[in-house]
Amino acid sequence: MAARRSFTDSDTADEAVRTTCDDATICKRFATSKGYWKDSCLQYFVRNVGERKAPEINRGYYARVQGVNLLLDAFLKKTQCLCQVINLGAGLDTTFWRLKEENLLPRKFFEVDFPTVVARKIHYIKTKPPLSKPIIDEHSSDTLLLEPHALDSDRYCIIGADLRDVSGLDEKLKKFQLDPELPTLLLSECVLVYMTPAQSSSLIRWAAETFHTAMFINYEQVNMSDRFGQVMVENLQRRQCSLAGVEACQSLDSQRERFLKTGWENAEALDMMTVYSVLPQEDVARIERLEFLDEKELLQQLLQHYCICWATKDKLSLGLSQVAF
Amino acid sequence: MGSHSKRCRRRRRRRISLYDICDHPDYGSEKKMAEATNEAELLKEKANNFFKEKDYENAIKYYTEALELNPSNAIYYSNRSLAYLRTECYGYALADATKALEVDKNYIKGYYRRATSNMALGKFKAALKDYETVVRVRPNDKDARMKYQECNKIVKQKAFERAIASDDKKKSVVDSLDIESMTIEDDYVGPKLEDGKVTLQFMKDMMDWFKDQKKLHRKCAYQILVQVKDVLSKLPSLVEITIKETEKITICGDTHGQYYDLLNIFELNGLPSETNPYLFNGDFVDRGSFSVEVILTLFGFKLLYPDHFHLLRGNHETDNMNQMYGFEGEVKAKYTAQMFQLFSEVFQWLPLAQCINSKVLVMHGGLFSEDGVTLEDLRKIDRNRQPPDSGPMCDLLWSDPQPQNGRSVSKRGVSCQFGPDVTQRFLEQNKLDYIVRSHEVKAQGYEVTHSEKCITVFSAPNYCDQMGNKGAYIHLRGSDLKPEFHQFTAVPHPNVKPMAYANTLMQLGMM
Repeated sequence: MAARRSFTDSDTADEAVRTTCDDATICKRFATSKGYWKDSCLQYFVRNVGERKAPEINRGYYARVQGVNLLLDAFLKKTQCLCQVINLGAGLDTTFWRLKEENLLPRKFFEVDFPTVVARKIHYIKTKPPLSKPIIDEHSSDTLLLEPHALDSDRYCIIGADLRDVSGLDEKLKKFQLDPELPTLLLSECVLVYMTPAQSSSLIRWAAETFHTAMFINYEQVNMSDRFGQVMVENLQRRQCSLAGVEACQSLDSQRERFLKTGWENAEALDMMTVYSVLPQEDVARIERLEFLDEKELLQQLLQHYCICWATKDKLSLGLSQVAF
Repeated sequence: MGSHSKRCRRRRRRRISLYDICDHPDYGSEKKMAEATNEAELLKEKANNFFKEKDYENAIKYYTEALELNPSNAIYYSNRSLAYLRTECYGYALADATKALEVDKNYIKGYYRRATSNMALGKFKAALKDYETVVRVRPNDKDARMKYQECNKIVKQKAFERAIASDDKKKSVVDSLDIESMTIEDDYVGPKLEDGKVTLQFMKDMMDWFKDQKKLHRKCAYQILVQVKDVLSKLPSLVEITIKETEKITICGDTHGQYYDLLNIFELNGLPSETNPYLFNGDFVDRGSFSVEVILTLFGFKLLYPDHFHLLRGNHETDNMNQMYGFEGEVKAKYTAQMFQLFSEVFQWLPLAQCINSKVLVMHGGLFSEDGVTLEDLRKIDRNRQPPDSGPMCDLLWSDPQPQNGRSVSKRGVSCQFGPDVTQRFLEQNKLDYIVRSHEVKAQGYEVTHSEKCITVFSAPNYCDQMGNKGAYIHLRGSDLKPEFHQFTAVPHPNVKPMAYANTLMQLGMM
């Protein structure tokens, strides 16, 4: 038998990336428990509220969630929900359930993540009625497709796949009735940065080539060439987590470029400091009263090093390029 | 089970049926449940009618019967709670409201009822929490908002009353301590005070002990705290010192529990001594993972060199900040709540400002929300308290300089921001040359503003393990009082997360 290393570097790196979904869920759980925003499904993925998080972290997640939701909801309304949503690297995200509750479901909602993450999520869905009932409600027949790494229903589908294997991803999505003719929203939050620029480029290009009318929303790091960015990269390396795609995170321009050069027609990007300032300010004032923040500089630095970039292509001329903050 | 699930099993070939995914109640007991529910509902209606007639005894009776048939109905508990409130059985009302919420934590009326019960019982803080919940979920409910505001007023009033209560009414932890009878176990091989006194050897041993992440025996910690409380309480709120021509002093800014960076300062700049005096300008604790080690070291040196080692209070030497940002949690984890109480009392005695050679004024935050404050005013501040929401004591700990003239509302939401003209007027009126303050993280560790009349110095490098900033300290020579800046970078530290919350360092890349 050939000698086999028990953990390859990429295994360790992949595992580190997988655990980031827990970080996000735990932070959101804490922030929602403090009242930053409402999410009644998080408790089914993370039972305990857990240890407190720093106020700047809570505000950062608030800006992320509100910012992404704003664009997502705008797309749904522009297409009158006659569209698809694909959440790439979805982790334990609860957007499907929010949209169901708010009556904003697209024709079909797809989630993709590593098989082990997907298996976990399916387990939660199977064992918690508040998670399964909305899926079943929207399903026409009384049987769903349930595999170890996939769940498929009329309106909700979750698939285990490696986003770096674009042809595999394409095959799996099409197997579950992905419709390239429908306007499609693709979403990735802190996902592309974990693969090489070449790999993320392939993914973004595949999206542009597959859908003629689409929007891609990417939330991740930006302005990473300064000291703060350096420290972040070092901190993460200590956790065996390498930001393989940090090169694309140099600036808002580099974030826009990666879309414009892979077949997307328009691309906009804003850092989270700007997003924070254009979110509905009454609600921002409300959340700022929830916890006192002792050092504003911490929040500022954090927000300046994350961005939302959204790219569109609009064969059907739906006015997608007008979707903005 | 029954025929129902047999159907399930037949269906399950390659695909798992719906019924396996969500728990379906057994049809048998479902029918029984439906019957019971109907009767319980009838009893509830009966109770409601009695309630309308103000016959609360009977209302309670029938709610109770309804509950016997259907014990997991939040509405029944809530209604009975209200009936109890009407009959002034506040304890029962509270119990029922709590039960209602146990059954259904999303039942908003339950929070309302519990808040009302708590108000009646004089538990205003608890009531406030529940009103907050109601207001949050029903932001348009005027009644909820009104009740919240009323309750909030009461809570604030009570807090104010406590704050202005005189000191002799408040008992010190010191009175209830019996340090002498505390014994140090034989297996404790750490540093101990020599004849109850801090010595240089003790300090060196303690710093090494801390560096190895070991804990100082609580008796020694208490001894230090009691002694330093005594020393600090004898100081004026404005400390005045003179540096002779041939002497110098080192001024450090915020250190925020970054013990290994503090050790590095002593490495670079020498240990404190009579010929190497230091002034640490507040914010010794919170945010960093080693606040206890930092503060005990600083307090130890204060005892060793009382006239050559100076400490000023920062906004983080207060209860509110310690509760949120880690120090209280750290002390409770490493020692006890009682020890934290004592720390809190000691912090209250930290002086608020220091004047060097009548020319340089040092404070943690900055200058004042109003013109006309004099050094004499600062001397007179009664500081043995938590800082008030406004006024000179608050400003000393909280304000920030701004580039433009005048004053503005502070971005922090407390105190103010003051411009170069404010600094100029203050210095002129008090015959000073410039001020040195801290309180704000700076990329280079220090910043000179207001035409060199306002200097910021910050000594916590790579603040919170994320900012990547340098730290700095200032050398001030008695000969010319010109500030000389020395920068330094962060040194590695053991991977211990701050006590307040999950390590920010870990969250950083995952947002």
